[in-house]
Amino acid sequence: MASSRDELKIYWNKIYYAFPILNDMLFTDCSDEEYQEIQEIIIGLGIQIKIRDLVLVHIEKYLRQHVAPSFWAKFIKVEEEVKGFQLFKSAVNDLYESLKNFSPILNKLNTLNNCCGDNKPIFGERDVLMGFKQLLRATLLSQLPLDFPVIINHFYKISFNVFDNEYENSEMPDDIMCSGCWNESIDCNCAYIVKIFHDTNRKLVELQLLERLTGQVLTNFIQLRIESHIQKVCAGTFDVSHIGFLENWLDTTVMSWLTRIYCAGSSKPQPDNHIVLNAISKFKQKLSYFLYHSYTKLRIDQLFNIVIDYPDSQAAVDDIKLCLDKTDLRSTLCKKLQNALETRLLHPGVNTTDILTAYISTIRALRHLDPSGVILETVTKPVRSYLRNREDTVRSVVSSLTEEGAGSELAEELVKFAVDNDNENDKEEDWDEWEPDPVDADPKVNSCDRKASDIISMLVNVYGSKELFVNEYRTLLADRLLGQSVINTEKEIRYLELLKLRFGESQLHFCEVMLRDVSDSKRLNALIQQDRNFESLNSKFSSNAMILSAQFWPPFKDESLELPEEIKQHFEAYTKCYETLKGNRTLSWKPHLGNVNIEIEIGTKKLDLIVSPFNATLIMHFQNKPEWSLEELHQVMKVPITILRRKITYWQSLGIITEKTTDNYALVDGSEASKPSGSRNQVQDMICEDEETESVMASAHDQREGELQVFWSYIVGMLTNLDSLPLERIHQMLKMFASQAPGTECSLQELRQFLDTKVRTHQLILQAGMYKLPKT
Amino acid sequence: MKVTIKSWTGVATWRWIANDDNCGICRMPFDSCCPDCKLPGDECPLVWGACSHCFHIHCIVKWLHSQPQQQCPMCRQDWKFNNK
Repeated sequence: MASSRDELKIYWNKIYYAFPILNDMLFTDCSDEEYQEIQEIIIGLGIQIKIRDLVLVHIEKYLRQHVAPSFWAKFIKVEEEVKGFQLFKSAVNDLYESLKNFSPILNKLNTLNNCCGDNKPIFGERDVLMGFKQLLRATLLSQLPLDFPVIINHFYKISFNVFDNEYENSEMPDDIMCSGCWNESIDCNCAYIVKIFHDTNRKLVELQLLERLTGQVLTNFIQLRIESHIQKVCAGTFDVSHIGFLENWLDTTVMSWLTRIYCAGSSKPQPDNHIVLNAISKFKQKLSYFLYHSYTKLRIDQLFNIVIDYPDSQAAVDDIKLCLDKTDLRSTLCKKLQNALETRLLHPGVNTTDILTAYISTIRALRHLDPSGVILETVTKPVRSYLRNREDTVRSVVSSLTEEGAGSELAEELVKFAVDNDNENDKEEDWDEWEPDPVDADPKVNSCDRKASDIISMLVNVYGSKELFVNEYRTLLADRLLGQSVINTEKEIRYLELLKLRFGESQLHFCEVMLRDVSDSKRLNALIQQDRNFESLNSKFSSNAMILSAQFWPPFKDESLELPEEIKQHFEAYTKCYETLKGNRTLSWKPHLGNVNIEIEIGTKKLDLIVSPFNATLIMHFQNKPEWSLEELHQVMKVPITILRRKITYWQSLGIITEKTTDNYALVDGSEASKPSGSRNQVQDMICEDEETESVMASAHDQREGELQVFWSYIVGMLTNLDSLPLERIHQMLKMFASQAPGTECSLQELRQFLDTKVRTHQLILQAGMYKLPKT
Repeated sequence: MKVTIKSWTGVATWRWIANDDNCGICRMPFDSCCPDCKLPGDECPLVWGACSHCFHIHCIVKWLHSQPQQQCPMCRQDWKFNNK
């Protein structure tokens, strides 16, 4: 028994000798022959499996207690990149060296394992070496410290700089500073860094630690680099397409660097190394997605500026278009652009014309970006609803529609439409190019409508009806026709023809009559001037008239004005001539409309002015009597005092009339008139300018109110018969009964507002959504 | 101070001198045109009948064509054009 015990002790010592790891040591003098002997003993005892497992346990313990802590001990938070670089390098080196020391033990264990024959997997792997690596990884990663990415990051940053430098700045090597390693060129470290870098990577690959240890850090790092590179390349310029350059950059600089990491220095992976190839291609997919993603994001942030600059920024829009297909940023784009529009455009500080210009270029840019029009529809929704609330929108649109010269995009658009209109018929033939609507499309809207609507109709659609536009155009036209002394009828007719193409003949019929009135008046004037009765009157000054067809012009503002006697005579004579020329017709004059060319002589100064009839009358009164009180003026001119007071500023600003005492005005004599007081003058100028440009037409709002009033009798009739009705029913019935004349088209919203005002004035009662007449 | 008027351009609206505002046939204002016309005034004049009723000329002509007897649609008297 004792001898066998001694024997066992000897055997045990021998096993210790072969596997020093059991004593937490790595080195032994045990040669291969000696080991063969010992192994035979082990096998003889039949404990090979037990020994193998025991050794494995001890290896694990050793790794856990010595290797891993000493490895991780190097991973501390350091600020300097170079120090980090060195630390990581030495950590990997040390690890590599210490693992080298395991190789004799592992060899022995491998032979022992081969004798076990139980096919038991070692840490999930088939052979000892693989199992060991697995164990190593597990052990290392189980003790991962918090700050481990710091020095890895430093390491890769430095090496990437060197590579980036190699690729990009190879043509200017004579720099004082090497931009790769930031040393002076003379003691440039680049070569050394490259060598260390490849060395370290090779070791990591060998240990199969590369992916685990550095994958995340690498990804983060490269993503950062991509982002900063994009920022650097694309800041502020929209007129160049960058996506090609970026793809190229990713392919050359970034990917070849990655390849070198994975392939330990060679720039081409071995074609049969599938693991590496796989890893690289996966990395590439990930990175190019990231490239597109961050590029698109950057562009989306700048999208407002891009849109405003369109079409100069077409290249950028093309880029976004390309990237949107590869990323899922559509909804982000919509949201961001919408926000940008809202914060930068849709507030009271922006002129309506500017909003319109921005809206137009948004339409253009987004049309290009997304031909289906879905993005456009979503993004511009707030713009549309905002424009709807601005009072001068229609006016701005209409005036820019008819504006002459460059800068008026809408006018160009109008002309373009006339040209485009002819080739619209072949649309049906493109059926094989049909594409479904994007998922975010509003299913209620027909995709054809979305695509077909052009800029002008988008603007018109802000209001949902052509009526308002046409009406506004009519008012504007009326203002222009009456305000100008020389009327360019040809130009107006040309625009009218263009507008007719767009809005239809019937809508613009009224305007046609207006233009014809103007040209007819010219002819009539010429005819009447030849009349003998009129000639004698005309010797002093010529009087002309514009004869309007009242039914076709927008309603005029009602203003009274008593003209001087001699003018009235002229008008009477004119009317007489007219009556003889056109049987059964007569004229009613609008004394406050028109314009007068007068010459004023004060002392030596002569002023040649074109003024309104009001101003002419006023100054003529002053000619007869140099001092007037407002009350007196009111008596002779039949104009309300408030208006008189406001309008007399025109002559005050010219320095011809001055307010002597409150409400008493007097003519300024020649000597004073030549030096009007400066600052006061400017203020006055502003006032009178305002006044002069004021429209002679009743405002659109007043007109509308009047038009809606037409419905009131219908509504009362309805409610008397049917007791109470909801808003929708009233709207429907109105549509049925009262929808002939232009301007009587009435939206549900308008009707509600109208009815609400009636409710407020107690002419209606609103009960549970039903309108009712109050019981009397 | 001396004010000289060089020219005065006034604005006036024309209207028919008639005893009603609207045409009894088309119910459009006389100063507008009948539904078949585009331009008012010379192109769509009024006519007076012997009965003193007046209409757009196009309206009354159409009416007379469609009737077996030539009567004024307002008073049913025989229609005669009054060329005053």
